[in-house]
Amino acid sequence: MTFYTINLLIYAAVDAMACLGLSQQFGIAGVTNFGFIIFQAAGGYAAAILAMPPQTANGGFQTYIGGWNLPFPVPWIGAAVVGGVIALPFTFLVGRRLRGDFAAVGLLVTAVLLNLVVTNYRPLLNGDAGLSLIPQPLQGQYNPATASYQWVFAGIAILLCLGVYLFVRRITESPYGRSLRAMRDNDLVADSLGKSLLSMRTVMLVVGGAIAGLSGGVLVSYITTWSPAAWGYAETVVLFAAVIIGGAGNHAGAVLGAILVPVGFEEVTRFIPTSNSLPPNLIPSLEWVAIGLLIVIFLWVRPQGILPERKRVIRVGAPVAGDGAPAGGGTAGWPTTSEAASVVPETRAESGDGGERYARGSPHHPSPAAAAPSVAASPDADGDFGTSHPPAPAAAAPSAATSPDAGGQAGVLSATHSAEVVGDGGSPSARSSPGSPAAARPDRPGGVVLEAVGVSREFGGVRAVRDVSFSVRAGTLTGLIGPNGAGKSTLLAMLAGTLPVSSGTVLYRGQDVTGLPAFRRARLGLVRTFQLASEFKRLTVMENLLSAVPGNRGDSFRGAVRGRRYWRADETAAIARAEGMLERFGLEGFANDYAGDLSGGQRRLVEIMRALMAEPSMLLLDEPMAGVHPNLARRIGDQLVALCAEGMTILMVEHELAIMDEFCDPVVVMAEGSVLAEGTMAQLRARSEVVEAYLVG
Amino acid sequence: MPGPGAVPPGAAPVTLFLASLGFGLVTASVLAIAAVGFTLQFGVTDVLNLAYGAIMIFGAFVAYAVNSAGYSVWLGLPAAVIACALLSTLVNSGVYAPFQRRGASPITMVIVSLGMTLIIEFGVQAVAGGVAVSYTMGQGPTFAAGGLTLTGLQLGIIATSVAVMAGVHVLLRYTKLGKAMRATAANRTLARNCGIRTGRVISATWALTGALCGLAGVVFAMDAGSFDATSTDLFLVLILAAVFLGGPGQAYGAMLGAVIIGIATEVSAVFIPADYKYVIAFVALLVMLGVRPTGLLGERT
Repeated sequence: MTFYTINLLIYAAVDAMACLGLSQQFGIAGVTNFGFIIFQAAGGYAAAILAMPPQTANGGFQTYIGGWNLPFPVPWIGAAVVGGVIALPFTFLVGRRLRGDFAAVGLLVTAVLLNLVVTNYRPLLNGDAGLSLIPQPLQGQYNPATASYQWVFAGIAILLCLGVYLFVRRITESPYGRSLRAMRDNDLVADSLGKSLLSMRTVMLVVGGAIAGLSGGVLVSYITTWSPAAWGYAETVVLFAAVIIGGAGNHAGAVLGAILVPVGFEEVTRFIPTSNSLPPNLIPSLEWVAIGLLIVIFLWVRPQGILPERKRVIRVGAPVAGDGAPAGGGTAGWPTTSEAASVVPETRAESGDGGERYARGSPHHPSPAAAAPSVAASPDADGDFGTSHPPAPAAAAPSAATSPDAGGQAGVLSATHSAEVVGDGGSPSARSSPGSPAAARPDRPGGVVLEAVGVSREFGGVRAVRDVSFSVRAGTLTGLIGPNGAGKSTLLAMLAGTLPVSSGTVLYRGQDVTGLPAFRRARLGLVRTFQLASEFKRLTVMENLLSAVPGNRGDSFRGAVRGRRYWRADETAAIARAEGMLERFGLEGFANDYAGDLSGGQRRLVEIMRALMAEPSMLLLDEPMAGVHPNLARRIGDQLVALCAEGMTILMVEHELAIMDEFCDPVVVMAEGSVLAEGTMAQLRARSEVVEAYLVG
Repeated sequence: MPGPGAVPPGAAPVTLFLASLGFGLVTASVLAIAAVGFTLQFGVTDVLNLAYGAIMIFGAFVAYAVNSAGYSVWLGLPAAVIACALLSTLVNSGVYAPFQRRGASPITMVIVSLGMTLIIEFGVQAVAGGVAVSYTMGQGPTFAAGGLTLTGLQLGIIATSVAVMAGVHVLLRYTKLGKAMRATAANRTLARNCGIRTGRVISATWALTGALCGLAGVVFAMDAGSFDATSTDLFLVLILAAVFLGGPGQAYGAMLGAVIIGIATEVSAVFIPADYKYVIAFVALLVMLGVRPTGLLGERT
């Protein structure tokens, strides 16, 4: 009975570890890895051949590579390392370009075929028969057959499982974890906000692979055998069943699922009396049928699992309430009225420039950039970012000079952003590398910020956009109008990098960005929104906003691993900024609601706020007012105009002539994939071909 | 599937090559029926139905049941076709369609289809037992032409496949249903707005592709000689490889993919151990997924 309990505990620990790894990939990051079992298998084999003596010394009845006879704990460490390393070749399957379900199929097929190869190729890992007589940890010193040895083994396995649990929690509950969940909810949008999907998915594959590898290593050290029969592709499905039933996205759920499904099934079938009248394969077959049924039924009845993902509530208003000037918000592109009042005079005083109307570029800019050094010097020293870093124009220290953001970043650089100067390597280097074209050429009001030169896009012979050239000048709210199918959204997608161009060039602040993916352009300050609702559904409104903040020290794998203390200051500042934003748009009461539960108009607001949180110098808006109540649409329009006055440049696709009339100047007209005309609405109305195209189209 | 092991040892390389080419043609024929069904199913219904292989083996066992009841397996074949058409329709209306109506993501659909794979495949195994079985049937006379040796059965399989391909071509090109299927595959909303009853088209597609799946299952089992409930696990990899090679959803692409994969796997068995012949399909699939997921005939993105 004792050995039975120990056996159960060790299996539970191993399965729980594997499920935690899978849950991290699937439930948190949305990476559907149908080949998960490969990594456990690799860990098992790695631990085996590291621990086993050379094949000749082992009776010679099995053939395998390696046989290094290494002492504990090297085999387990090796198992985790190998599990992580063999994940790397799979990263080419999980990039942005491939549909998630196709990538999943690729991984499934890989699992099936690797099993086939290992089964048939005996010299590598003894083929079909598998490896046996795998040494148990420290079996020279202690007797593995004793109960005390096995209790210690079970204890270590459980401790390791606990360690894995704490590790995945640490990652998930960090700003990086939030980015992972954002990617899970909508990867295209996460990409457009500056998140590198490839990097995040690679990290997830490697981390999950290492965890799976470790679980495999622990398992083979206990059962002392490992063969292809133990890791058929269907075993992955069992783990998926466990995670889905326990609750994908909740690590406690993953542990619960591991106990219920792989362990539970094994135990339940143990108590079914064996009868000779039953066909030999009946019980195992029915077991698989039951697992299939559980998956389908749970996905239908309770897709969130037994323990659903819990809501991350962020208490609003606490740290900086009543302060009146959350500094982050103050330097963001969306200051409250009082903040604007306090910031603008300061910058004017310093610059002495006459261009108040366009309080941007040189006059407005030095303030946030100069705030950088003081922040950089003491990001950790004080928890309360909000109150202690008012815009400090006096501190015009070296980093202000080297910051390339002397241009259109203007009023949108926040204190949090500057933290990246000393933060880890995850920060957008393009923005802070001295000597980039942007640094050499600050946006003058009226200067060209974004330029399309001969841009075309074809979809299988249909030319959706043909040879479009136009430019957007700094500080303008430029409208892009045209009938349905004119190619507006396609053009916008090419400008943002969501779609590659078929031909032509896109210049952003003088830099050729044609070859840059969307997340890199977003990091340069060129941020888009989407025509269709694109909120991260299972993130709260607050989390949606926070997910877009660039340069958070916790928004990288390394930062997340270093723990809350490392990134708390950035997070506090980001929350303060988000609060300012929510107040400005009147959504502060919804901060802790799931974005997916909001009304259509509110979701549009969330999207605009989120884009602003990304600290853009130029916004590309795709019909931000579509489906929004006219009153709200007017308010959005007013806010956009105010933003432009502060130095933001906006290109807005719109359908409604009335909106164009009221807010946009100049307006670009597109029809049938080409730019037809450009000018003020009054000028355009006078041109018959424009009116014709628009009305006829 | 018979590998080149059936060729007498010591045969000249050319003979070996020709023999494997023969096997390749047979494999390609079986594969073409299965892959065209799979790709049409995916293209029109938008479900990447991984349970396709399980339904195939279900069909093979239906024919086996008829066969072991004392009737000819050729009588079992239509029974299998009907049974698989029914099962596919049932699986769709009972499981996939409700999930789709609820707006389940493609990934969720794939996971559901994996669940269905377990239910069907191991349901079959629970009933049929875990042992390999084979049909009671003759192989027919042997035909030889210049080193290419094929049995009557193998020729029959090739002829069936060619007939099915011609039928699919006629269906897609010249019939109203086929045109409606193509329209639905291209853009379901637009098709519905143009007056096509997409719901019916999708139901018809499930029945039709289910029938192809059943036919593929029986000819697969005939070709394989002996089979058990899990035999199509690996064959599904070949189907997926053929489908992705030609571009998912592309019927003609799947035909081309089936010919390439079928012949490549068998011919490669001349040069590498027969156990690894599927590796070619695997590499082809991964390369296509990584480099060009729209397939050889698909549009470049």
